[in-house]
Amino acid sequence: MTEFWINMGPQHPMTHGLWNMKVQVDGETVTDAKPEIGYLHRGYEKIMEVREFQKNVVLTDRLCYVSSITWSHAYCLAVEKMMGIETPERGQWIRVVALELQRIASHLMWLAAYGPDLGLLTGLLWALRERELFLDLIQLMSGARMNQNYPRVGGVRNDLPENFEAMCRRSIEHFLEKVDNEYQRVFQESKVFHMRTEGVGKISAADAIDWGVTGPNLRACGVNVDLRRLDPYEVYEEIDFEPQVWHDGGAGDSYARFVCRFNELRESCQIILQALEKMPKTGPYRVKAPRRAEGEGYAKTEDSRGEALFYVIGDGDDRPYRVKIRSPVFCTMAATPIMLRGNKLADSVAILGSVDVCVGEMDK
Amino acid sequence: MTSAPLVPNLFAVCEVLVLAIVWVVDQILYALAGLIPPLTGLAQWFDPVARARLGMGPLGSELLIVVVTWLIAVTVIVIWATLVNLLTMMWVERKFYSRLQDRYGIMISIWSLPFWPFNRAHRPTHRGTGYLQNIADGVKLLQKENITPRNADSAMFHISPVLIASSTLMIFAALPWSSGFYVANLELGILFIFAAFSLAPLGILIAGWSANNKYTLVGGLRAAAMLMAYEIPMILSVIALVFFTGSLNPLTIVKQQERTLFSLGPLAIPAWYVFSPQILGFIVFSVSMMAEMERIPFDIPEAEAELVEGWTTEYSGMRFGLVFGFKWLRMIAGAALIAILYLGGWSGPVFVTLSVGGVPVPIVPEEAWFLLKIYLISIVFIWISWSVPRVRIDQILNIGWKKLIPYSLGAIIIAAAAIASGLWAVG
Amino acid sequence: MSAFEVIGSILVVINKRMVRAAFWLAMTLVTIGAIYLLFQSEFVFLIQIIVYAGAVPVLFVFGIMLTRRTIMDEPGPEGGP
Repeated sequence: MTEFWINMGPQHPMTHGLWNMKVQVDGETVTDAKPEIGYLHRGYEKIMEVREFQKNVVLTDRLCYVSSITWSHAYCLAVEKMMGIETPERGQWIRVVALELQRIASHLMWLAAYGPDLGLLTGLLWALRERELFLDLIQLMSGARMNQNYPRVGGVRNDLPENFEAMCRRSIEHFLEKVDNEYQRVFQESKVFHMRTEGVGKISAADAIDWGVTGPNLRACGVNVDLRRLDPYEVYEEIDFEPQVWHDGGAGDSYARFVCRFNELRESCQIILQALEKMPKTGPYRVKAPRRAEGEGYAKTEDSRGEALFYVIGDGDDRPYRVKIRSPVFCTMAATPIMLRGNKLADSVAILGSVDVCVGEMDK
Repeated sequence: MTSAPLVPNLFAVCEVLVLAIVWVVDQILYALAGLIPPLTGLAQWFDPVARARLGMGPLGSELLIVVVTWLIAVTVIVIWATLVNLLTMMWVERKFYSRLQDRYGIMISIWSLPFWPFNRAHRPTHRGTGYLQNIADGVKLLQKENITPRNADSAMFHISPVLIASSTLMIFAALPWSSGFYVANLELGILFIFAAFSLAPLGILIAGWSANNKYTLVGGLRAAAMLMAYEIPMILSVIALVFFTGSLNPLTIVKQQERTLFSLGPLAIPAWYVFSPQILGFIVFSVSMMAEMERIPFDIPEAEAELVEGWTTEYSGMRFGLVFGFKWLRMIAGAALIAILYLGGWSGPVFVTLSVGGVPVPIVPEEAWFLLKIYLISIVFIWISWSVPRVRIDQILNIGWKKLIPYSLGAIIIAAAAIASGLWAVG
Repeated sequence: MSAFEVIGSILVVINKRMVRAAFWLAMTLVTIGAIYLLFQSEFVFLIQIIVYAGAVPVLFVFGIMLTRRTIMDEPGPEGGP
């Protein structure tokens, strides 16, 4: 059959956000693909140069609207390193709890979007239902459901509310039960799900590293890379957890990516429970950050989608001289043609859904 | 004791209806004839008493009345199928999958109507049963603009919804709702229904090609490939069934299933074909029927994730409503076929027969049993389709050609062996 | 009916767009089925509809679409849906 290009986007039910995936198909087989991005480019790195250090948190929150806290935290970490200040211990623990709550919420959003990609609308409604629990927790903690503006340079905005620990435990208990009973059954134990995901969208570990794929997508290729372990920030070295790496055969396919993310949901719950246990019950949660700073700060963190990197230069003024953001999805998106080639057109959706695209941070 | 139909003969009922209407019209004509004398002859022509005096035959045998009776019978079936069952089926599906997904689902009901006069203050408009939502959606679709894409092949683009809708309605010409409630009692009724079913791939292909859009084209090609692949095992499993029935008349097939197969204590197991060696054919038939209805594990023709809306992408307004809503009509027809062929159709116990003015009225008529079976089968289909992901196109064709066709051939061999060995008698 | 059939079959031959010709072929085959119905041979009519109206034109269109280089007015990768 004749080859032709199909535009998947920018207005298409497949694209989770505003980007265009041009797919060349031969009948039903994808022969080539071209991601076309930049529809949501807002010039973040430049805007941040005209705002004060503390006010930039508002912007970094909006980098990825489903994973605000992790991005703001990466920025705060870089600025703190530049200023040479240290978050108090309780502040660090609160940050870990907030990060993992945000990671669960973000992964649930991914799971919710992955369901309709495969034609399973029930998965969307179920995942969003449980995401609501974690949004409630985050709201309890920070006061907002979205764009929380919670991490601050030098700590976090406010202390945990009084009954937060009990509510957190209750929600996580309920959530783990749902994961084991409902999601596990409707996704992982479904035969049709295996048919759709196993062996499609393969990328080798070498290719993935070459193209700069990070995070769960790289761990699905069998590479044990988790910055929370390799380059611990905050108090992650005190927490006992296992990075979710795919060890069996068939590494790098959609199923491996699904399993890695899915198991991270459980792992993050364990991290939160441990953090609530080990956290000092009282103490300062924030230090005063200086208004002006000079120097260079560099922080890389394990975002929910991969390695988020912030590089901040200050020239002694109260605003950064230069900010560089490394977005994990930007690099992953460059590698998607490798995953797509040779698969069926219907699978292109399943593959792009499994890499978890967030256009906000991709276009910056 | 088996049930009786509520409508013993559709045409007799319609004739009574027509004669009643004619009587009303006749009275109006007599009243008008007092003012306009030439109308008296016309009024007398419609009046049974005057006809008897003038030595003319009964009114019911006049060609005009027969034609009107036919038209009313066809209209009754169409309204029954679309206005009653189609809307109810959509409501059942939307409500049922909403409950699967832990939400309320549609809630527009009679309380939400702006001109509902009674007790509005204490009836929240958002807590109804939702039955009127589908009607509201239909009204919305009627109000929308019908857009024809500039590069579309206009004639074919407009023909295909007509082809799809009319071929779907043709199914109901031959589909009986009970032993009395049908339009035509065809000797080859089942074959007629399959012929009407098999016209749809052509309409879908025309729709997909004529819109001149890549999504619709791929969707149309997929639909045609899939529907054709699944029609073969479906018809093969019906051939296996014909070994047992010896007939293609739905009324005969149901009649054969009314006897008791064996008794299990107080429970009498009826001789439904699903309890016979036809069980393999039943499974193959149900799976292929699910594909024929384009339900979710097999809904690749309009896989909304990759193909926007598949072959219906370019349709808008009520044309979209036709091609989209008639999917449920095909679902009703498919579930009715499964019920007729394998689940005993409308046979069931009657419990009590009342007598209303000398006319026996069964308390649980055949129509009720038939509807119960149709809706139960549909709910099982809905249940399956909202709990599994979509299967890929090559996997669907693999299932169709490599699994279902050998199974249906196996069903034919089993059926033939059962007949040859005398395990089951024909008819 | 035969008039329709004759017109349809002529259109099959003279039509320049192959997909349209295939659909005219479908109409011709349906009218042949209708002629069977006029002869009161319902079984042959129904088989004609199932096989020749449901399946054969679809296969024809498949063949056309799978072999031709351009199916539609191709806007190229820079435009169109």
